[in-house]
Amino acid sequence: MTTKDKYKKVAYYPGCALEGTGHAYNRSTKAVGKKLGLELVEVKDWNCCGAMEVKNIDPKIQTYLSSRVMSTAANEMDMDVVMAPCNGCYHNLKKAEYDLANDKESAEVVDRLSKKAGHKTYESGQVETIHALDWIKDSIGEEGLAARVKNSLSGIKVANYYGCMYTRPRHIFPEKDQGPGSESTSKPHFMDDLLAAAGAENVDFPLKTACCGGAHTLSDSDTSTKLVLNILKAAKLSGADVIATECPTCHSGLEMHQIRAEKMLGETVDIKILYFTQLLGMALGLKAKKVGVHENVSDSMKFLKEKGLG
Amino acid sequence: MPIHEKSLIRPENLTTHDELVMDGVDVSGHWSTFIETRVVKDYNEDMQEEIAALPGGEHIHRCWQCGSCTNACTVHAINPDFNPRYWIYLIRMGYESELLRDKDIIWQCVSCNKCTYACPRDVFPEGVMKATAHWLEKKGHTEKSPSMHFDEVFTEQIVKTGKIEESRTIRRFFSRTGQALMQPWMIEMVKRMLKGLPVSLLTRMGLATLIAPRTSDWSKASAALEEYIDEQHEKQAQALSLAELVETAKQDVAA
Repeated sequence: MTTKDKYKKVAYYPGCALEGTGHAYNRSTKAVGKKLGLELVEVKDWNCCGAMEVKNIDPKIQTYLSSRVMSTAANEMDMDVVMAPCNGCYHNLKKAEYDLANDKESAEVVDRLSKKAGHKTYESGQVETIHALDWIKDSIGEEGLAARVKNSLSGIKVANYYGCMYTRPRHIFPEKDQGPGSESTSKPHFMDDLLAAAGAENVDFPLKTACCGGAHTLSDSDTSTKLVLNILKAAKLSGADVIATECPTCHSGLEMHQIRAEKMLGETVDIKILYFTQLLGMALGLKAKKVGVHENVSDSMKFLKEKGLG
Repeated sequence: MPIHEKSLIRPENLTTHDELVMDGVDVSGHWSTFIETRVVKDYNEDMQEEIAALPGGEHIHRCWQCGSCTNACTVHAINPDFNPRYWIYLIRMGYESELLRDKDIIWQCVSCNKCTYACPRDVFPEGVMKATAHWLEKKGHTEKSPSMHFDEVFTEQIVKTGKIEESRTIRRFFSRTGQALMQPWMIEMVKRMLKGLPVSLLTRMGLATLIAPRTSDWSKASAALEEYIDEQHEKQAQALSLAELVETAKQDVAA
């Protein structure tokens, strides 16, 4: 089976954020999948992957939580690919995969906890975890996407923002940095490629993998506001109208601290923040509401109308 | 200058003499800035081992002080006092009193993993930062940091229900850290959210705060996790000789 076919039907792991603050990402991912004829089967009774917090209490608990999701997909649903649009979920599943293959102690703890919890222990290699970017890029591709575009994103200048957890640390992403065609951990380009195929003009954005301070968005808000302000300003100076995101934590962090910078520091940066799936969905002919633009905190409706979208 | 001597040139360690004559030579003023001699005797020889016993700290011994971590560090860029390389050095030397000068900022690591990405020795500095923050807290050098409170509220909810419901987590975090939820920027954000949201979604979110989403069939996993967490606490307390510490303190009080 080629990658193209393999990703046509995948287990879908939305994760907690996509049921809450990141609901627009959930809605737009599903809408884009439907429009592209890709099937998503939600992981049954999924649990939280551990996000960015559980590892600070104990990394092995995070490994267990993530492994349970993969175990369900593999052993109860007979799926061999899990697609997670959230960078946090994607990262944690990848990390669990790595730890289970390389760290005996982690594998022992996971086995013990799985047995007590009454489900099959996940064995590394049972599933392949992919991001929503891999899913669209590998199953549809740029050419396939360009052929399906109804409303080109032409005239929209986009800064592609990937965040931390999609590329770091390098060792948990063995498929990246494998030469032409593969994703790069230092200069990721999958989102750029897809949005360019949909007609967008990608700007040269130096902070693609900068940190938004998402882990401490509430516990150390001042630091997060400073980090987000850097990102917003750099995107604006790069000439972008829109920052495209691929992570609910980054996305809500950018939106929240855009407001916080305005209120606390008196610094206003006028730039739109949209999930890449929202931009793709509209390029494929979906209405703004179908991709949840109204669910974003920042208001992009007027801008999108001006650009002939939504 | 070797970095462990950095402390010597701190303003408070310099003495200036307005009038000082040595062997008949007047060395007052700018030239008479002397560094106090000092001998460090309070090295904590167990510090590296204790931090290595906490999750994330396992590989601290690999560090060869290249500085890639600090060079790549997100927090260092906005606060030059945040210096992972320096802290790793101090820990490995056992220079506890110096480390304690920075005890209130170590928890601020944002886990962006730029250090881990850059580290040529696989020290996993991000993990070392977390282990160090835990060590400071477990040893009683610091209060629980806001981040630790957040991690705990978050983990407790997952262990209990299998899932996170964000508004519940946020409310619990604010109440546990004694902060008002009604901060101006928070209100502004909710206002902007409400503007575009459909009633159905609002109802769903409202309901979620009342009835937390749960992973079904979670109770056995929950029990297994609780048991594991207790077991790990016990292990860590042992590694840090906390029981011994408490016992000594008790005897001290009794005497």
